[in-house]
This record gives sequence, structure tokens and C-alpha cells, in this order.
Amino acid sequence: MTHQEFLEQVDAYALGALDPEESRAVEAHLAAEGPHPECEAALARARNAVAALASDLRPVIPPPRVWDAIARSIGAAQVTPARRVPGWAMGLAAAAVLALLLGGGAQIREARRSAMQANAAAAECARDLADARIDVLRKDDALQLLVEPGTQLVSLKATAVAHGPLASTTGVVLFNARGRALFVGKSFASQTTQDYELWLIRDGKAVAAGLLPPGPDGKVLAEVRPELLAGARPAAFAVSLEKKGGETDAPKGPVFLTGALAPP
Amino acid sequence: MSLQPAEGTALEAIRRGDSRALEELYRLHAPRIYALLLRMLREAADAEEVLQETFVDVWRRAGEYSPSRGSIEAWLITIARSRAIDRIRARGARLRLVKQSEQLAPVDPEPSEPPDVHAQTRLRRALGALPPEQRRALELAYWEGLSQSEISRHTGDPLGTVKTRVRLGLQRLAELLAG
Repeated sequence: MTHQEFLEQVDAYALGALDPEESRAVEAHLAAEGPHPECEAALARARNAVAALASDLRPVIPPPRVWDAIARSIGAAQVTPARRVPGWAMGLAAAAVLALLLGGGAQIREARRSAMQANAAAAECARDLADARIDVLRKDDALQLLVEPGTQLVSLKATAVAHGPLASTTGVVLFNARGRALFVGKSFASQTTQDYELWLIRDGKAVAAGLLPPGPDGKVLAEVRPELLAGARPAAFAVSLEKKGGETDAPKGPVFLTGALAPP
Repeated sequence: MSLQPAEGTALEAIRRGDSRALEELYRLHAPRIYALLLRMLREAADAEEVLQETFVDVWRRAGEYSPSRGSIEAWLITIARSRAIDRIRARGARLRLVKQSEQLAPVDPEPSEPPDVHAQTRLRRALGALPPEQRRALELAYWEGLSQSEISRHTGDPLGTVKTRVRLGLQRLAELLAG
């Protein structure tokens, strides 16, 4: 392979879009030719552009079991105790602090704290979805929405009327301003004579947003009908336990989960 | 803001067998790579496995990293994507194509998280400036793991045309992001 041929292939190589034999030829060129500034610069440019394509994704903290598995594989301690901070880590910390300072002070710090909390909620939601015994396409769809830019996570908290089995339920609404909202819940006990119902609160009024049938594992995944999201942005979401078939105008049973949507 | 020098030091420590350095690199980069893998693989279990394989690979191959061939983040993403593409191809799910709603990024800016807002806005503008056919070719390769030959078969466009779109698309994107 000539340098020119390499330069013509390098973008597809960086994208992983070459067929296997083409990739091997590119790698052989890199290995055989040794450092060639033009080829290496082209590879760096292409790889950095490919990496930049991921910058639009909202980061999701992986479940702790991933690091535990890595630590086992490399023979490291799985749970790192309080430790002396090594020099290189001080470098990372210093760079992070510098980034924070350059980023603009308290407002940015608060935004970062919120982002970290959102990440933790996103990670838990991803784990719940991963474990849920639901249709794989619906699961995929929810995971897509979870990592999509602009998706907010609304954690629904138990209210004072949540007693008994209702007290252990939790729920998250994935809300995207482009007109989608999914409810992901867990620990919903099966009901024979009643239904769980999702509500969105807008302009001080409750709007019925659909029933929430739990799966055999107590997990719930339900989508709010898009037409309900076409109007003004909801202020909050709530879940109640209603008669079979649900209510249409306002909740009449106990409202046991609520959560407010952060302003845009 | 780049963390490259400090990360380079962390990579040196990994080469010497310091697992704490790998852990720090993991904490810094795993969230974005995990999001990328979730998007590509659509299965959390697969994304977790590939993320694990990626960082075990980093542990074993830290000595192979060369700054002249891209940033550390780019190197990590290259490893992760390569493994994800292998998995997609092994699944035989090659032609599960992106829907319009699942494109690389929305062209219109919208609120995003503060730490990445500049990069996101720049990326969306850059993608919006690409001709649609170049953008589409990049999407099929990036998210679906399709090779240029497969893109050609899927779209019906000549292979040479697809190759040109991929090459010009990524080069233009790099220029726009650098500009």
C-alpha cells in the first residue's frame, strides 16, 4: 500500500468501515512503514473526529460490576480502600479543578453536581432496564431515549400516602423535549382489581397519561402518548392506584409517587 | 480543556502495572464510552461486556498508545468501537438501520449538560453543515457498524461513491470541528 492509498483509506479505517482485508492492509502499512508524519497525522485527525462524534451523548455511569469484573481480570483489588493519592492522579484532579475554575464558578459547579446526580439516576435506570423482563425492542428503545441528548430524568419519590407495598415502588420518567416521555418503574406489585395510572401535571391540572401494567418481575415500562406532550411542558408527573381501567379526569385513588420536571 | 498530559502520565503508570491508574482512566472515560456502546449495541449487557473488554485491552496494550495517532480518548473509543463492531457483525444484525430519529445528533441546538455544551454545539453545527448523503454514510458506519461495501449494498449507491462520501464526510467534519 502506498502512502496515497493509505490516505484514501484512513478515514474509513478510523470509522471501522473497511472490510477485514482492507483493514489488515492499512495496519500493515502502519506497522511496516514506521513513523510517517503525514500518515500518522491523517490517522490522528480521523480518529479524533470519530471520537468527537460521541461528544453529543450524555455520559452514563456504568454499573459497579463492570469495574469489578475489570479488576478481577487484571488482578487488582475490586474495592479500592482510602489510599494515598498518586502523583498522576493529582494531575488529573488538578486538571479537573482547573477546568472547573475556567468553566465559571458556582453556577457551573451546581450544574456539574446536578449532572452527576442525573448520571447516577441514569445509571440506575439503565440497570433496571437491562434486568427487566420486557420485550427487547422496547428495552432498546428506552435505552436509546435514556442516552439521547436533551433527555431529562425525573425521579418520582414516594408520597406520604404510600403505605405497604406502594411504599417500596420507585419510578423515573425519561422526558425529552422533542415529544417523548417514558415511565420506568420497579417494585410494582401485581394488582387484580386495580390499575396503576400515570398522570402528568400541567397548569395545575392532572392529565391522565396512561395505565402502568407491571411485568412479572414488578418492572414497568410505559410510554406517554406523544399527543399528550404536544401542549405546554408538564410541571410534574405522578402515579396513583385507581380502579380497574383507571380514571380519566383526575386521580381518585392514592397518589403514591410524584416528581417535578426541572425547568428548561 | 484537555486532560491529555495528566492522562498520559496515567498511561505511563498503567504500563508499569499500576491498576489504580487504570481505575482513574476508567472513571474519567467509561461513562461516555458506556453511553456510546449502549447506543451502538442497544443491549446493556453487551455494552457492559464490551466496556469491560475495552479496559482490559487498555491494561494489556497501554504500551501501544501513540500520541501521534490521536488523543487518548480517541484511542479508547477506537478500541471500544472496534469491539462493538465485531459484536454487531457476530450477531448478524448488520442491517438494523438507523431511523431518522436516531441520527448522529439533532441539527438544531437544544439544552444539554454543561460540561459538554461547547463540544455538543460544535458537533451539531458541523453535522448540520455536511451534505445529507455524507452524513448518512457516516451514520451507517458509525452507529450500525456497516462497512463501506455493506453501505453500498444497502443504499444501492456505487461503492466508489460511498467511499468518497465517507472520506469527504469525515474530513469535512474534522475541518469543521477544528475550525
